[in-house]
Amino acid sequence: MKSVWQRLRRLLCLAAVTLSATAAEDFLDEVQDFLSFSARDTQWRGRLSGALDLEGYRVQLPAPGVLGTKDGSLLESRLTVFLDAQLGSQVYLFAQARADHGFDPGEGPGQLRLDEVAVRYAPWGRNQPTVQVGRFATAVGNWANRHDSWTNPFITAPLPYELLTGIWDTDAVRSSTALLQWAHIRPGLPAAQTALEKSLRVPIVWGPSYADGVSLFGGAGRVNYVFEGKLGSLSSRPEAWQRGREQLTHPTLSARVTFRPNQMWQLGLSASTGSYLREFAARGIPAGYGRGDYRQEVLAHDLAFAWHHWQVWAEAYASRFTIPRLGDADVFAYYTEVKYKFTPQLSGAVRWNQQLYGTIPDRGSRTRWGQEVWRVDVAPGYRFSPHTQLKLQYGLQHGDSGRRDTTRTLATQFTVRF
Amino acid sequence: MRVMMRIGAEWRRATRVAVTGLLLSATAVAATIEGRVVLPKARSAPVVNQRYEIVTKAGVLSTNPPVAIVYVEGEFPRPQVQPVTQIRQKDLTFIPSLLPVQVGTKVEFPNFDDTYHNIFSFSPAKRFDLGRYRSDEKPVPSQIFDEAGLVTLRCDIHEHMRALILVLATPHFVITDAAGGFKLAGLPAGRFTVKAWVDSKTIREQLVDLPPGDATLRVDFP
Repeated sequence: MKSVWQRLRRLLCLAAVTLSATAAEDFLDEVQDFLSFSARDTQWRGRLSGALDLEGYRVQLPAPGVLGTKDGSLLESRLTVFLDAQLGSQVYLFAQARADHGFDPGEGPGQLRLDEVAVRYAPWGRNQPTVQVGRFATAVGNWANRHDSWTNPFITAPLPYELLTGIWDTDAVRSSTALLQWAHIRPGLPAAQTALEKSLRVPIVWGPSYADGVSLFGGAGRVNYVFEGKLGSLSSRPEAWQRGREQLTHPTLSARVTFRPNQMWQLGLSASTGSYLREFAARGIPAGYGRGDYRQEVLAHDLAFAWHHWQVWAEAYASRFTIPRLGDADVFAYYTEVKYKFTPQLSGAVRWNQQLYGTIPDRGSRTRWGQEVWRVDVAPGYRFSPHTQLKLQYGLQHGDSGRRDTTRTLATQFTVRF
Repeated sequence: MRVMMRIGAEWRRATRVAVTGLLLSATAVAATIEGRVVLPKARSAPVVNQRYEIVTKAGVLSTNPPVAIVYVEGEFPRPQVQPVTQIRQKDLTFIPSLLPVQVGTKVEFPNFDDTYHNIFSFSPAKRFDLGRYRSDEKPVPSQIFDEAGLVTLRCDIHEHMRALILVLATPHFVITDAAGGFKLAGLPAGRFTVKAWVDSKTIREQLVDLPPGDATLRVDFP
């Protein structure tokens, strides 16, 4: 473990010194220009850009959220390449390809994925109804549009986007005892399933939820709207995004409305409904029910504020997982992030997260079906140049599990943007 | 096309400002240098990243044809009245995208878009971050450029936005037209180095002797 951190420290120092030089800034500007191209008298334009992320994590086991490490230490590298292309004034195309060890930081084998590819058609121009088809981030909430490593002041996602609930998407819940075991409220989960549970449990929203789908959006005055139909519920995992055909018969419908009274404020309201079970989970569904009866229903409210060197974001998610013959499993999560730029290069951010659970019928009474958690994250960041930045994050998480109530996470991320 | 005309108007305005300054400062003589700078090929117009934008903005951007700045090098007194000029943010573009100013000039950055911008510079000649400010905010956010050098402006929100401010110790400068032509009037007599700034890595120069009186000298930068 020590050698991993020494290696990471050396790499970060070397990269920071090398890439913060003015010459490197000019070079990366030239790379950006070189990766831009145009045709048809600049009416068709394209640009490749990207980011190289080097991350290190040191966590107390079991690793929190969607992090995948067995020994509490993890070194992750990720190359992301974006394509943005504008074809005239009506057609816009974008794509995101990533090379890493899995969508979430982990110890899996290297892989190359196309996380996003979509085309947008705006026949009537600005603010008018626009249609988008492909694989893209959900419009629900306000985190997805600022989740990339350069923009996001933190390294990990807020709690609603990464804290795993007791709900599995791989099997239908058949009793309150099963759900309470899956959620670690009641002992008795077989050891084999405990080892695999990160590949079984789902959060309220899995990251930016890059599922396949179609969306219609536009604006009227200070109000913008989005309607979205996707092949994957908000809680669906990255493996499911790549297998959208599984959900063809059970698409997820979402909508979002935002109101921007002025440049400082933005208020958003989102709603979503769709089946959270994977196709192969259908075999465990009781007779008389179908996957469509296992729904995730979400209502979310979000707020964003910015003024001078302050930025504030907040979101609240109320999610209901419907379980036939058992009832509704409700979970509520919220967070508030505040970022302040102390100098042109130094910034700091603080985030407060909390996730709370409702109760389910259990042996003649009602039992809370999840471990309530709060977490505070502190993240200083430093930009060496317009193309390089270093972030640190310290997270303190407290759960009411009774095993180990408080866990700490230390993370660092160095990003080169080109 | 409209944006092209606007950029053209900017050049003319900047030229007028520079020439007016020259006329005011030239007390005894008014020599003129005119000529042409060979300009590089235009770079591709940028694409606005709209991946996570609900509402499409600025689908087609103007091209910024390359231009150069021609200036007479030397130590000249600072103007008694602080010059003030502007770089505007309009349609997710800096206008103008290249601005020469004399040391000590105050540059204002009004925002004419209905969305935030966050102008910043990490350039050694001027390091600042204006933060996010409303388009109707008063006073208009500004910076005083008190050290000679090249300053690269960027927007923290819109990564395609880039502009340059060339801070010069001299009041004698002019922006070429899109064909590279320039005329620098109101110059004092003497021996000077005339430089053509083409881009951050390309500065051409020539030594000139400006005679007293109303002479015109032809200087080309091939």
